Amino acid sequence: MGRRVVITSVGIVSSLGNTEPEIIDSLKSGKVGFTRFRFDEEIMICPVQDFNLKAFTGRLKNARYLNRGAGFSVAAAALALKNETIKRGVFSQAGLFAGTGPNLDIGGECSEIRFGEIDSKRFQALWMLRFLPNTASSVISDLFGIHGENATITAACSASLQALGEAFRKIKDGYLDMALAGGGDSRLSAGGILAYQKAQALHAGKENPEKSYAPFDVKRCGFVPGEGGAFFLLEELSHAEKRNAQIYGEICGFGCTMDGYKMTAPDPEGKWGEKAVRYALDEADAQPAQIDLICSHGTGTPLNDEMEANLIHRIFQGSRPYVISLKSWIGHLSAACGAVETAITLFCMRGRFIPAVRNLEKPCHAGINLAVKSIEAEADSAVVQSFGFGGQNSALVIRKWKN
Amino acid sequence: MDAFNEIKNVIIEILDVEEDQILPETYLIRDLGAESIDLLELAVSLNTVFKKEIIDDDIFLRKLRPYTEDAEEVGLEKSAYLAEKYPFLEHARIRDVLGELGGGPVLKVKDLVSYINYERREI
Repeated sequence: MGRRVVITSVGIVSSLGNTEPEIIDSLKSGKVGFTRFRFDEEIMICPVQDFNLKAFTGRLKNARYLNRGAGFSVAAAALALKNETIKRGVFSQAGLFAGTGPNLDIGGECSEIRFGEIDSKRFQALWMLRFLPNTASSVISDLFGIHGENATITAACSASLQALGEAFRKIKDGYLDMALAGGGDSRLSAGGILAYQKAQALHAGKENPEKSYAPFDVKRCGFVPGEGGAFFLLEELSHAEKRNAQIYGEICGFGCTMDGYKMTAPDPEGKWGEKAVRYALDEADAQPAQIDLICSHGTGTPLNDEMEANLIHRIFQGSRPYVISLKSWIGHLSAACGAVETAITLFCMRGRFIPAVRNLEKPCHAGINLAVKSIEAEADSAVVQSFGFGGQNSALVIRKWKN
Repeated sequence: MDAFNEIKNVIIEILDVEEDQILPETYLIRDLGAESIDLLELAVSLNTVFKKEIIDDDIFLRKLRPYTEDAEEVGLEKSAYLAEKYPFLEHARIRDVLGELGGGPVLKVKDLVSYINYERREI
């Protein structure tokens, strides 16, 4: 058997909490953070309340260069490495793979633009760093002394799952023994919301924000944006064992494709999305029947959920694993969704808990096993799926670690 | 608010340091670890706070070493040459600066205060 890649630490900042017990407790008690957007009563969002980056990092003068999404990346990375007893020098060989999104907070960043002229007097000298996609990585590298192979991946909503996949491959293929991988994002600014409103991708309405967002329901009408971040410490198995690291799970396979179809809509046939999932299963040497749980992309847009339900049905109809949509709990975290949902999926597997697709009443597909109610159940292996704008498809196969 | 306190607030914000770390005699680079990008940000903030165009090269004594070399080259007395280039620095301070050039970056918080007070003086 080749080199195996295990997860030895998880750092997460989410609207459900920042620790494994807190998140499981929120899932079991149904505590969610959906609320109305202050600039538009019909828009719902799922923010992380009272986020304070320096509570995670301590003093950090470069915080001024981090947009909110980048701040979630740095905070999650700090949590992932908080309990690590590895000496600082050891991280110098580690890799760093981050999935990040664009800073769409145009109103907050340049509040005064008139006829093309920008009032820039209040701008910082290095204001542009707030827009560069690798600023979070640069700060993480500086904070923790990480100097190895790295990449900042900006593949829309597939970005952070691809960051995990790339880190996994680098370790599996022997380029690295250890890597930090994940992502952070926030689009809950006026500019970010406007972007998705214009694209007609958002769930909107006057109903109770906690009770209306229902991915995979026949009445679904768009997604609710959220925010947050997650980072994982990934290691080659023997490297982790040698230092007696706690092992949470294993990454077993990764698949990644592009639709080559439309700028935002997924290919309704899901041909290349399906291939991404099958490639991940192949790399994991797993049959569809060996998968217990699917953490779907499950955005709640009419097009994604129909394409994805059909795709899941085609691959998994013989075994019908549970299908969950964590976006129904935390909203759509854009570039960060893959990493954050992988973290929560892993916690659910470890906690033997399958969270319901919230608010799901009439499933749009009868042939897949959507979790209509939360249940206590064993799940040893899962597929996490991300499908982003631009036809970006990725899938990751993970397993719970059993000692 | 006097110039020192206003400058102190800007430094706290930019360098993310405690208030009690900042005294007139504190070295910006040696004590507070200011890097070149921090000085850039300080200049931008001081511009905004004092509504004056801050000349980076002057307020941060950036050309101190080339100036002393210039003076040497043309045979001028260094302190007189620096007094001409940095009219906001008192003679005593120029003497100190020349005396400690070998010990690392000499820039102190009080130099920023002198610059701002000089720029604000009634003409």
